[in-house]
Amino acid sequence: MDQMQIDAAAEKEYSVRSKRVEDAIALRRPDRTPVHLAWRFWPAHQTGLSFRDAMYYPDKMRIAAEGLVEDLAPDYFQNPLTNVAIGNPLETMDFKALEWPGHGVTDNASYQYIDQEFMAADEYDDYLFDPTGYYLHTYLPRVSGVFEPFKQLPDIPGLYYLRILAGSKGFAQPGMRETFDTLAEAAGQIDVLISEIASLTQNMAAKGFPVLQAGTAPAPFDLFADYMRGSKGAMLDMFRQPDKLLAAMEKATHFIIKNTITMAAGKSGKQIFMPLHWGLDTFMSPEKFETFYWPQLRNVIMTLIDADFIPYVFWEGDCTSRLETIADIPAGKAVYKFEHTDLVRAKEVLGDVVCLQGNVPASILNTGTPEEVEACCRHLIEKVGRDGGFILDGSVGIPDEAKYENVVAMMQAPANYG
Amino acid sequence: MDQSTSDNPQKLFAERKQRVLDTVALQETDRVPFSYFAHFWPARYRGVTFEQAMNDMDLANDCAADAIRLLQPDNYFANQVLTGFGRQLAALDYKQLEWPGHGTDENATFQYVDKEYMTADEYDDYLFDPTGFYLHKFMPRVAGVWEVFNHFPDIAGGYGWKLIHMMASLGSDEAGEGLQKLHLAGKEVNDATLKVIKFWQQMNEEGFPLGAAGRITAPFDMFADYLRGSKGAMLDMYRHKDKLLEAMDKAIILLMRDVEKGPQAFDCPFVFIPLHWGLDGFMSPDQFNTFYWPQLRSIIHQLIDRDLIPFVLWEGDCASRLEFIGDIPPGKAMYMFEKTDMELAKDVLGDVVCINGNVPPSILNTGTADDVDEYCKNLIQKVGKGGGFVLNGGIGIPDEAKTENVVAMAQSVYKYAN
Repeated sequence: MDQMQIDAAAEKEYSVRSKRVEDAIALRRPDRTPVHLAWRFWPAHQTGLSFRDAMYYPDKMRIAAEGLVEDLAPDYFQNPLTNVAIGNPLETMDFKALEWPGHGVTDNASYQYIDQEFMAADEYDDYLFDPTGYYLHTYLPRVSGVFEPFKQLPDIPGLYYLRILAGSKGFAQPGMRETFDTLAEAAGQIDVLISEIASLTQNMAAKGFPVLQAGTAPAPFDLFADYMRGSKGAMLDMFRQPDKLLAAMEKATHFIIKNTITMAAGKSGKQIFMPLHWGLDTFMSPEKFETFYWPQLRNVIMTLIDADFIPYVFWEGDCTSRLETIADIPAGKAVYKFEHTDLVRAKEVLGDVVCLQGNVPASILNTGTPEEVEACCRHLIEKVGRDGGFILDGSVGIPDEAKYENVVAMMQAPANYG
Repeated sequence: MDQSTSDNPQKLFAERKQRVLDTVALQETDRVPFSYFAHFWPARYRGVTFEQAMNDMDLANDCAADAIRLLQPDNYFANQVLTGFGRQLAALDYKQLEWPGHGTDENATFQYVDKEYMTADEYDDYLFDPTGFYLHKFMPRVAGVWEVFNHFPDIAGGYGWKLIHMMASLGSDEAGEGLQKLHLAGKEVNDATLKVIKFWQQMNEEGFPLGAAGRITAPFDMFADYLRGSKGAMLDMYRHKDKLLEAMDKAIILLMRDVEKGPQAFDCPFVFIPLHWGLDGFMSPDQFNTFYWPQLRSIIHQLIDRDLIPFVLWEGDCASRLEFIGDIPPGKAMYMFEKTDMELAKDVLGDVVCINGNVPPSILNTGTADDVDEYCKNLIQKVGKGGGFVLNGGIGIPDEAKTENVVAMAQSVYKYAN
């Protein structure tokens, strides 16, 4: 084949694969079950790149991922650079909510989120009164050292007339010039990352492999539990200051949606990845889930659907007790990926409403045999995927330590079992 | 003034300061104090153009110092923070003002530019997230150097990796240059402020207390002058009554933050509050009591609670307001009147608040020294009776006042007993 024929073939493959996923999401029966390749450090593990290098060298990570996408030929894949190859800007910005390979964890361990109270219990009022002001003066300097001088900035909405002169002095204070220079440096590093992300997406598209994810969004409760109040703080707030927490989540939803849509604009895919952390069965009661978690999450899901995006919601852990509640969304407009929830049970409850995705266990992918992987995939495809509405995936994508032959077995299963 | 030169400056400083404080406390003093308040008159007195003074803080300071030495006042306003800040206004690309040599003639005073800087439908943005509204919308409209914040991401709602990716918008050369410009403008203001501090130290040494070290505005004026424009704010009283009221309540909190910083730094309790849109001709008594006075009163009370002295300049004629504005704690504030009949003000407010004023510009500009003397004598004897009165021009010393008339006003407090 000459290049034009190759390109034409790839283009056709690209649209066949995209259509397959599209059909599954719309709860139509595709020609066969689509399979997704989602991963973090596995491309590094597989190609002998240290996790640390994967964080700091976006180009090396891109090259590692490209070879594997071609070898494994998934129907679509998650661009692994976005959340992995961010070591340089993290370092430059002195980011404190994460430890990562070479910075707090060893060179070949995955990054670790730091569960910490970055926002104090009595700061809800500040956040509610003036969220951007709270971020500028209080939150940003706590999570990222580069913003330290912002603590000294004036209250900007209190400025008028001559106070604007006085207020502008804030930008001349010691450290501010360094902050600006450092932010520009971090932004330059992010630019490099973004261009590598774009290259990977384009290079693989040219080979027929789509990326369908356009962005990420959190559940409002997780925004507070993960990144602001810490898990303990957010749990206590449900009891001690439920009204403030509810009001703050409502406010945050505005920004979550605005930021998500702004950052997703112009991307090729329509899926918005929403990994969920604190709503699973064991972290809160059904009553709490229906008060503090689901209504706010549903609001984000519905707004994204209205804006023509496809929420791709990752229900981590076991969410069996949530299944009836979370069925309350329009049919065929979203994807629910489950980690430990029994998909056969999920199919019974949610089969008419939402495309399911998952969940070959990490234990089998890491320690099992290809035959075991195949059996697991066959079970899922036949029981969950029979009439469409199913996408095959690892329970947490491809674990960092998965055996290559097991991943191959998973990728090939749909071709064998339909 | 021969009456003063025999005393040493420290002693004079203490006497002058106490004389004004006693007057505020409505106690009778040895004589009526005289307060120095001027804009470009010192430049005219020194024979330099307004534009020259405006663009050279050293020169503006020298002019003011000479005027103060000539007049030997009991306190003084350092209006160089406006009339010597031309370079700084230019560095900020400040758009709400024209000034000598920059929109007005080299010997014409500055002119505020009445315009709609915030549209009627932006109240919700202001209320929801005031700093966000200022950063992204208001500040770039009124000070060009803040346009760099058009590049700044919507940080509220940012979290984890997303916060890192958001910073990409600061990586452009344009953003880098913008931040540098902002930093340099801040430095210009800083340098000029240091010169004002030196001036203040010099005046302290020579025995002259500062008359105001902080500045705040009536909430209605904040919106009418600086955000909505006069027409917008007038219409809002009819069309967006609730939003305007709610926004003013929010503005009170923002305006009050940091208000004691200046008074602390300059060891001077007076906070200047010039009023614009509450005077007799601009709104009805009903509107005054709905949109103007309750919010202004709240600020006056809060300042008093913080041991600061509100120094309120009631511009224009406020005769119809006198019966309302006495509702403040007695002996804790100063009301300066421009055109309101001072004897009437004394009758209504004499037990409540020290009054300050108001030799008319017409006499100071076009009358004789004898005319001025006669006018001052009348004020001192009638309004100064029993204390609680500070002699001043209607709006201080007009730019075009004759030197001998200004000297006659300053000397009158030594000639006539109250």
